[in-house]
Amino acid sequence: MDANEKDALIDVGSGGRAAVETALEKNLRAIDIPPRPLIIDRIRSEMLQDEPCFRRVGQLINADVGLAAGLIRTASSPSFGLRARVRSVADALMLLGLDVTSRAVAAISLRRAFPNSGHYVRFWDASARIAALSGWLAQEVGLPGLHAADAYTFGLFRDCGIVILLRRLPGYQQTLARANLDAKRSFTAVEQADCPTDHAVIGALMAVDWWLPDDMCQAIRHHHERSALAPAASELPRVSRLLIAVSQTAEHLLQELRGASRTQEWVKLGDACLPLLGLDEDGLRSLHAGATAIIDAAE
Amino acid sequence: MTGFHLRSAAPRVVARLFVEAEQAGASLCVLWLDLDRFRQVNDSFGYAEADAVIARVAGRFRSVVGERGTLLRMGSDEFVALLPAVDTPDAERMAGRLLALIDQPMPLGGMLFRPAVSIGITWRHAADDPLSLLERADRAMSEAKAQGGNRFAVIAAEPPRATSGARAARQDLEIEGVLHVSLATGDLELHYQPIIRQDGSVEAVEALMRCAVGGRQVSPLQLVAVAEKTGLIVRLGEWILLQGARCAARLREQGYRTKVAINVSRLQLCSASFLSVLHAALICTRLPADAIELELTESLFMDVSPVVQANLRGAHEAGVGLAIDDFGTGYSSLANLKDLPATKLKFDRAFISELPDDRRAFLILGAITRLAGELGMVVVAEGVETAEQLAACEAAQVDATQGFLHARPMSEEALLLWMRTRRTR
Repeated sequence: MDANEKDALIDVGSGGRAAVETALEKNLRAIDIPPRPLIIDRIRSEMLQDEPCFRRVGQLINADVGLAAGLIRTASSPSFGLRARVRSVADALMLLGLDVTSRAVAAISLRRAFPNSGHYVRFWDASARIAALSGWLAQEVGLPGLHAADAYTFGLFRDCGIVILLRRLPGYQQTLARANLDAKRSFTAVEQADCPTDHAVIGALMAVDWWLPDDMCQAIRHHHERSALAPAASELPRVSRLLIAVSQTAEHLLQELRGASRTQEWVKLGDACLPLLGLDEDGLRSLHAGATAIIDAAE
Repeated sequence: MTGFHLRSAAPRVVARLFVEAEQAGASLCVLWLDLDRFRQVNDSFGYAEADAVIARVAGRFRSVVGERGTLLRMGSDEFVALLPAVDTPDAERMAGRLLALIDQPMPLGGMLFRPAVSIGITWRHAADDPLSLLERADRAMSEAKAQGGNRFAVIAAEPPRATSGARAARQDLEIEGVLHVSLATGDLELHYQPIIRQDGSVEAVEALMRCAVGGRQVSPLQLVAVAEKTGLIVRLGEWILLQGARCAARLREQGYRTKVAINVSRLQLCSASFLSVLHAALICTRLPADAIELELTESLFMDVSPVVQANLRGAHEAGVGLAIDDFGTGYSSLANLKDLPATKLKFDRAFISELPDDRRAFLILGAITRLAGELGMVVVAEGVETAEQLAACEAAQVDATQGFLHARPMSEEALLLWMRTRRTR
């Protein structure tokens, strides 16, 4: 996440829309973390059938126009790397399969599950760019076990705990600013010094609740930990480490290519991420042109 | 742990090796290795140190088996090697080398520790299926252990038996398979059983996990045992914590101040991030800490490992209630009660089932209830099934009771309905 985007969360606007937003917020405050959309349960229960019916799942997704459009758009994007053109939900289902579709649906539903007002818009836009870049980068590095769709979903879910903490803990905005600037302590260590928990724990809890696969839940939980990335010492599954490395590298590319960033994550984690992806500094530079095209497409 | 297949993969991996052995016309030998006194290491030195010991033992095992076989991790301290075309002298030589190598001292908690293992050896019989072969290897290992450990025992290839051990092992693997699927698909449910005060009000509800295997409900105890063995417990535990907290939040929304009691396992409490997860669940559901309560067995309260103690203290300081579950079945001494940060004591059902006939049980119940009450704890009797048992508990001045007499565990929806009909606040 770009520091500017994270900063944007701090400057809460006080314009004319404020009253409407307050009303919306109040409404949302009654609920806890966004509950898992019913559609995910439905797709999952279809997957449990001996012969899952794609047509039935297609009908369920098509019943929600926004979701259907989001799925077609996401599956068609270069982040997913499908060579065939995706023109309908049925196409997306055939090409992605039920499992990946259910995760893609989770990713698309995520943003809709949170308030999409004012200062949160830029947060989600930044997450969307990191997700798009992550999906594309996963294809570029072409490592076994690392799927573009999973890298995309992870990029979106990774920081969702930040939104929850901002809405729950007064003073978390200042913590966030400090965590962005700290070049020594891990991001979550800074959070833990101020708060009883951190955004990675919250995000992982939400991922468990939304039935994301275990590798992804673990990756969310540990995505700021340098020790989790070291192959010898890490207890983290390889796929989880790859997801973390891809998203951190995607974030770094975004910051380099769009400039002006004050986060310190690459300083702390970059040299652990690159070897995991089989990249060096030259290799990273060679990705700039492709990454720029993806960022432009995501905007 | 690199180089080891997970337990959940065992049936598949062994089935593949069956086919390969069949095609090659070769035998298939199984070595089942189990660390001796692991529980002691765990209890005395804590989870992290015990893990380091396991990792070293696993490394030594791997170095002896090398390229000759396939490795599986069957439990926290249990490993299996599957070795094609290894005959009896060869297998015994390998087991001997293993015993010698594992016996080399390794650092543990500032001193040198000599690990020891028990090894079971067997071979595939033509009538075996993957599970029956593994069960026989496990049985051979148990024989080695029964002879004092630090040795190996051999059972020749023989037709599989339908022993209760084999049935239990089979059932465990079945439950594990279901748990894996359930955790990936959300096919799990929590049910809630009310705990009723003497005045009829609801003191709390206990969250209990429900999961069906082959159309039959598996007891929460059995589920947790399998989940602990396979490492699924952490994810499962986090899910239960969040769902339990959600139920507490919904009860509050409806105007009930009823606490939700959530069972916590040893592995969860051994995690350095336990408190973070607990707070995350509270923050996500906007609950005050005293809306939930954690239920732990006595042995966990007695656990000396610093992480467990810090987690218990942290939860207590945050205001989360701590209940001693299944009291009367473990080893806690009365003297220890004064040092525990517990807010509730739950008498095990085994104790209550002796009532009202067992006079001594009744006297102990009354005496401990008074003592716990003076220490500021709420006392609950579990497993109350008859009106006579309830009367005995009330006569012993127990604060609250839980059991089929009041209500069976029920879904959240049914619980809300049940609360409404009782008009309990």
